[in-house]
Amino acid sequence: MRRRDFWVLMAPSLVVMFGLLAYPLYRTIRWSFERVQYGADGTWVGLDNYREALSDPRLIHATVFTVGLTLVASLLLVVLGYWLAYLVNQLGRTKPIVLGILLISYVVPQIVGATMFSWLFNSNFGGIVNHLVTEITGTEILWFTDPWANRVVILLNVLWFMLPFAMMVIIAGLQGVPHETMEAARIDGARGWRIHWHVIVPSIRGVLGFVCLISVMDILRVFDALIPLSPQAVGIGNESIMLYIYNVAFHDGGQQLGLGSAINVLLIVLIVVMLFPFIRDTAREANQ
Amino acid sequence: MTPSRLLTSKKVFIGSLLLVVCLMMLSPVLWTAITVSKPTNVAFLNPPTFTWDPSFRAFVDLWETTTFHQYLLNTIVVAVISTVLALVLGIPAAYALSRCPGWVAAGLLILALVFRALPRFSVLLPMYEISKQIGIYDTNLAVALALVAINQPFSIWLLRNFFAAIPRSLDDAAMLDGCSQFQVLRKVMVPLMGPGIITAGLFIFLFAFQEYLTALILSDVNAGTVPVFISTQLGQTLPLLQQAGAAAMLLTFPVIAFAFVAQKYLVAGLNAGSVKG
Repeated sequence: MRRRDFWVLMAPSLVVMFGLLAYPLYRTIRWSFERVQYGADGTWVGLDNYREALSDPRLIHATVFTVGLTLVASLLLVVLGYWLAYLVNQLGRTKPIVLGILLISYVVPQIVGATMFSWLFNSNFGGIVNHLVTEITGTEILWFTDPWANRVVILLNVLWFMLPFAMMVIIAGLQGVPHETMEAARIDGARGWRIHWHVIVPSIRGVLGFVCLISVMDILRVFDALIPLSPQAVGIGNESIMLYIYNVAFHDGGQQLGLGSAINVLLIVLIVVMLFPFIRDTAREANQ
Repeated sequence: MTPSRLLTSKKVFIGSLLLVVCLMMLSPVLWTAITVSKPTNVAFLNPPTFTWDPSFRAFVDLWETTTFHQYLLNTIVVAVISTVLALVLGIPAAYALSRCPGWVAAGLLILALVFRALPRFSVLLPMYEISKQIGIYDTNLAVALALVAINQPFSIWLLRNFFAAIPRSLDDAAMLDGCSQFQVLRKVMVPLMGPGIITAGLFIFLFAFQEYLTALILSDVNAGTVPVFISTQLGQTLPLLQQAGAAAMLLTFPVIAFAFVAQKYLVAGLNAGSVKG
């Protein structure tokens, strides 16, 4: 393709991405060095916002909570997604129906799904799971005010809405594993988990990596689900980084745009660091 | 046990396991459907009741006493505008990226990957300010434009992977017949890309339909979408909460139908999305 054609074809999309993503991003970075409120010009304060953000225990808490949730959920998504994909992949005629049912939690808006999810656990609203757990264990678990019980609910919800995606992508990978390889391994005496661990998993490593990539990207930004699932997030230490930014820069009376922007920039740094292995792989592949 | 008996019992085991998984995955939707079909005075009893007279009061109230229809209309308008715009912008770009190897294209794709991972607030807070300055705050257009930009990196990656699956010899043949690069795209690639374009369009539509944060930040009273409506109903009195449940159901049913009808394309999209490089 001629260079001129390439740039003509790229131009509209680049204009949108630079005008509506890169420019706002530049503003966020500039705000992060200013003391500023909506609709007013800011005053330059250098690194003050960063100093304030990094010395705020609330941000440290939010970071530990978010990164912890991301790591645990991503790991479980790969394991459970693989397991589910393996089971579904063996189905015959019922496969499309099962896939259709499993896809529902992926296509329902996250905040709506999380709202419905919260009703399962809420005793004020006659939650069925809440009721069953109380009946079986004999103790009432405070799903929304006990920090760890609430974390379990949040983790379950993240798994609930992201599992279909992980499963679908892994099914695609499984279909690429050559049948002969599996037969050969069986003939050589491989059984059960050894086939999975030594034959299937290595040959779909790229796909599993992709599931990790998207999980890390999306769970680091968790926000929607916490609105209904963790109304007391700040008090019980289950505030995510995004929720913290929202509270600081938008919701709480202060509207500390500079501070919020500084945290945004720090979050971007965290995301890029966690994505670095994937970025390196993409660069390597794309350049070949 | 004979091999065939072994096979059947294994099938029964897997079948029941999957049945349990499906029920667990459906449970929030099922429970909400049950709750909104109860009369308000028994809907939220604890322990829950399992005998009730079905009532659709919540749906009627939702329609008559709130402006739900406005939110629904906004959701659809925003999703349609942003899907059309994202495709018009994304198709040429993705085609160019799929046909041009080397550092420039690789760099742009990595840039798209990083943009895909940006936290929403880092672009939404400035967008809030800018949209107020130029006077489009709280319009469907502002929300749709923001969504086009936010989803552009994803749509480019997805479409580019679909384009990459079309052999380049087709381009060469068409060029030999006298087509310009743009004619190749319009007359050869777009017809061949039918399923790919439908898939990308469905995903962009779905993302716009699901989006909460963008609509929350960029709307006030006029441009709110259904997810915003539902979140404002939370923490209210029980009848309002039951109406929120009814709204959730009204949003969920079409989406369920969508999942079944569009399943083939969604699977294709998730597959293409995972074939990187």
